[in-house]
Amino acid sequence: MSDNVIEVDDIVTHLGAQTIHNGVRFAIPRGTLAAMIGGSGTGKSVLLREIIGLQRPSAGHVRVLGTDMWHSSADQIAGVRRRFGMMFQDGALFSSLSVAQNVALPLIEHAPPPQELLEPLIQLRLAQAGLPADAGAKMPSELSGGMRKRAAIARALALEPEILFLDEPTSGLDPTTARGFDRLVRSLVDDLGITVLLVTHDLDTLLTVTDRLIVLQEGLVLADGPVSEVMHVDHPWIRSYFSIRTMVTAASGSEVK
Amino acid sequence: MNAEPCSCHLTASASGATLALTGAWRISTLSEGWRELSALRIHGPLVIDGSALQSLDSAAALSLLRALSAAGVDPGTIALNAFGERHRRIFDDVRRRLGSTEPVARRAKPRWLAEVGQKTVDLGSVLSGHLNFLGATLSAFGEAALQPRRLRLKELTTQFEQVCLNAVPVVTLVTLLIGVTIAYLLGLQAEKYGANIFVVDGVGIGMTREFAPIIVATIIAGRSGAAFTAQLGAMRLTEEIDAIRTLGLPPMQVLVVPRVLALMLALPLLVFVGDVMGIIGAMLVAEPMLGLTPTTFLERLREALDITHFWVGLGKAPVFALFIAVIGCRMGMSVERDTRAVGLATTSTVVQSIVAVILLDAAFAVLFQELGW
Repeated sequence: MSDNVIEVDDIVTHLGAQTIHNGVRFAIPRGTLAAMIGGSGTGKSVLLREIIGLQRPSAGHVRVLGTDMWHSSADQIAGVRRRFGMMFQDGALFSSLSVAQNVALPLIEHAPPPQELLEPLIQLRLAQAGLPADAGAKMPSELSGGMRKRAAIARALALEPEILFLDEPTSGLDPTTARGFDRLVRSLVDDLGITVLLVTHDLDTLLTVTDRLIVLQEGLVLADGPVSEVMHVDHPWIRSYFSIRTMVTAASGSEVK
Repeated sequence: MNAEPCSCHLTASASGATLALTGAWRISTLSEGWRELSALRIHGPLVIDGSALQSLDSAAALSLLRALSAAGVDPGTIALNAFGERHRRIFDDVRRRLGSTEPVARRAKPRWLAEVGQKTVDLGSVLSGHLNFLGATLSAFGEAALQPRRLRLKELTTQFEQVCLNAVPVVTLVTLLIGVTIAYLLGLQAEKYGANIFVVDGVGIGMTREFAPIIVATIIAGRSGAAFTAQLGAMRLTEEIDAIRTLGLPPMQVLVVPRVLALMLALPLLVFVGDVMGIIGAMLVAEPMLGLTPTTFLERLREALDITHFWVGLGKAPVFALFIAVIGCRMGMSVERDTRAVGLATTSTVVQSIVAVILLDAAFAVLFQELGW
């Protein structure tokens, strides 16, 4: 058995008359921090939704932890869903529940811990997501954008997922908070051994923490590999994407790490 | 994956204790592990042996650390032996965060008396807010009256279509059935005394003076009042109202005045529809049940129904409409900026408007009684 935890096989997606994906394929091994990029309208978020089983692709197969997300029984899919976590772009926290209750929900539903452990476990998840201990009592509407994303990560981590999917984790955050977020995601991969697949536009995230970069363009995987290799692929879109970065660093007189 | 169940085995020696972990220590087996661990009593330095440990996740590491510190071991002094690299990292990561996993003190729940007081203060502030908003609405009306060009005619007609024309079918259906029901129930009683003809009096006066205004206002409170709150609340959520303000447009003129005015124009018309339909409904049962032909029915109606009753019923409608629309708009405009609040505000609008309509109706009843209308 290969140790690829995510396998995307010849995915084709039509939305109306438009073809979004036309044979996308890649596989991600365990313990990788992979990022998906592509211009707007290239179907990154759609692909993410197809991988986690929210939107049916027109053709092709998606296997997460060895289970085909679109050709398996409901029980099998429910079983896999407990083994991965998803952070939606704006957190999608349940607004009627406090942060602690949001984190507790999957625990109580799927793996009720002993009563004495519930509260410490919630606090551990908040700490792992980089939230202060008093954040648990707050309502989602009382949190800033960055805190809301962290709370969403805490909820996604609740059941010790093997894979974490992140949709634009650093969008709408200030650079300092965003870099803190990058370090957090990296430590989840390094310390907890979680596999992470994220969709992002943040060049800093790509250049500093990701192991692997998947570029979607014109319905296909344009490039796939370590960032340092993908950067030098000779394609107009990739050149223009990374040239912005070169311009910025040239202007500030520093070098890309 | 075929994982062995988790278990642990404690051996004590002169130099200290060794806890050997076996099997898979995971979140799914937390309860079993916790049960075994809580029974332990340990003295002296502790070494955990992980040579037979299959897996360890952070939830299990947390339960291990908390149970051991409850058993009298300082987590900082625990030594790890033969742990895999990944397990050691997870264990150390959780150990580092152990201090922040202490339950935080909850805010004390207020006593019932304090709660009653809080609710009263809240109610007071809602009511004073409504009064404030009513004043703002009326002053916006004043502005629109002085400068008719400020009135948004297009918005007004759109709203009118939604609150009036689109409501005609439901109003027709409901008031027709109410007319049928009242005539039927009155007929049952009147027949006993041979007073069939007086059913016309009862239906005519009851329907025009009370039933049609109250029932139509209740329907509209549920239909349009709730819609106002939901529309404006959603606009507030998406910062559309802030955008209107930023573009230099007054939200009261753009959003509130057309809605209030449309409802105040619509409700009397709908009440009139209700009057007519109620009477038609009564006529439908009058012939087969009471032997009153439509001609007899209408002739009697002309004698029995004083026009004052009709005007009283119709005159109440704009006042009901004003209150429903003001409550609906105010609840929507002042909604807190989270998704849950819109739902709560919408529910609250319906309850408040129906209560307001009934209170107003009672006040009108007393007023008209004194006036002798």
